[in-house]
Amino acid sequence: MKKPQPGGGQIAVLIVLFFLLVWEAAVSLSQIPVYLLPAPSRILQTLFEHPQLYAQASLLTLGEAFAGLLIGLLAGVLIASLLTLMPGLEEGVMTLAILLKSTPLVAIAPLLTIWLGFGILPKIIITALLTFFPVLVNVLSGLQKAENHHLELFHSWHASRGEVFRYLRAPNALPYLFAALKISAPLALIGAVVAEWTGASGGLGRVMWLAYTNLNLPFLFAAIFILAAAGMSLYRLTVWLERRIIFWQSHPEP
Amino acid sequence: MKVEIAALNHTFFTPQPRPALLNLDLHIPSGQFAAIIGPSGCGKSTLLRLIAGLLQPTSGSILLDGKTPAEANAARQVAWLAQSPALLPWLTVEGNIALARKLLATRLNHQMSVQQALQRVGLENAARAYPFTLSGGMQQRLALARLLIQNAGLWLMDEPFAALDEITREQLAAMLLDLWQPAQPTVLWVTHNIYEALRLAERVIVLSPAPGQMVADFSVALPHPRREDTPAFQNLLYEVRTALNQAVEAAA
Ligand SMILES: Nc1ncnc2c1ncn2[C@@H]1O[C@H](COP(=O)(O)OP(=O)(O)OP(=O)(O)O)[C@@H](O)[C@H]1O
Ligand SMILES: [Mg+2]
Repeated sequence: MKKPQPGGGQIAVLIVLFFLLVWEAAVSLSQIPVYLLPAPSRILQTLFEHPQLYAQASLLTLGEAFAGLLIGLLAGVLIASLLTLMPGLEEGVMTLAILLKSTPLVAIAPLLTIWLGFGILPKIIITALLTFFPVLVNVLSGLQKAENHHLELFHSWHASRGEVFRYLRAPNALPYLFAALKISAPLALIGAVVAEWTGASGGLGRVMWLAYTNLNLPFLFAAIFILAAAGMSLYRLTVWLERRIIFWQSHPEP
Repeated sequence: MKVEIAALNHTFFTPQPRPALLNLDLHIPSGQFAAIIGPSGCGKSTLLRLIAGLLQPTSGSILLDGKTPAEANAARQVAWLAQSPALLPWLTVEGNIALARKLLATRLNHQMSVQQALQRVGLENAARAYPFTLSGGMQQRLALARLLIQNAGLWLMDEPFAALDEITREQLAAMLLDLWQPAQPTVLWVTHNIYEALRLAERVIVLSPAPGQMVADFSVALPHPRREDTPAFQNLLYEVRTALNQAVEAAA
């Protein structure tokens, strides 16, 4: 893990601002109609004209994303742990997991909506399914990739499989868990939105779908802006947590 | 702990057979500090791994106080230190020692505290530090403290100081001797350095190039601290080096 460049965050903000400015200028200079591409100022205006609508939709979507991520995370960590402690199960379970992973969620999402209705449950399930796989694969490889010299040491202590797991494999897998989180956290947002898109009583996906069917692009883009901001914040939060928890990783291993 | 090795053979299948140890007979009396020297790839690490129970021999027997390596390992009587200190980076200096002490608690009855072990290697002031903030020499000292607290009857050491600079290596070798003195466990110490072997060990065993066979066995009956500038030391140095060179030439 590299230390952040001094001012790295500011540079990212500047680039985004610059991009928005170019967008704004391009739209106003070329007179692109608003039903094709609204200017950022117009999008932000829409956002602030309907604060309650967007706040409620965001809360719902983020809640679903968060709940799904949590379930996917727990399931991934649990199953990875189980497969590490009982390696005989690995091949069978991983085949099932890949089968699940290869099934297009775009096809499953409407089915879940048909079976479970327009509530939050199908959204949480889709999100959990989507976030589960990166966690499973990364954490499993983290648990299995304990270093040889450490394994030899634990062998010389005649440590039990459980002790090796608890004192060596689990802490060793923490950096892998964070690598998975960096992939799964943005996926959680996508999962919740895609699930809402296929039928929901609320949420940003629902707002986007309504805006899309009415060709109301400022409404659509406002939701996209919120999602982008939420994705960024989630990612930064993950990195922040990682720096605090995996303090030994910024240094070469002894 | 007494080490008795008889007609030991080990062949790796990679997949073509590659013999690593050939017909090795070796008897190490309890409490002896023995150095093993041999050219690179001759099977020294393989020998230690067999004794530690990390590998199963192709044929032959290894007995540690009459027990098989697996039984001695289960009794937690064999301690291991290799070139890497194998410290856990997420634990502090004292945390690393405390973990060894905790996992071995059933056998140890806690004679030595973590603090005492750290004092023996001069790390008592670094107890709260993390391993990555230590120098390579300090890291290996920490590994020595961890070895010490295990209170094992046999220390298997595979070039523990090979990655360190000359001065640090000499300091650590002297420290190893100090740590060994009180309880005098049996030591099997693999090294590439003939000087180091002769300064510390009571016995120097020379192996041939792969597949490793014992070609010479020297007893070093010199008092400590040993001086290199004595005729006895120089003689032994010459003899060990000659035996090593002859073995390499014979194999070539
Ligand atoms: N796991 C393994 N699989 C296949 N061959 C191996 C394995 N481990 C060692 N060997 C082979 O066995 C021989 C002895 O290896 P070993 O590591 O014991 O040598 P060594 O004396 O410790 O060498 P060095 O001084 O370089 O550490 C070598 O030819 C090596 O290539
Ligand atoms: Mg070796």
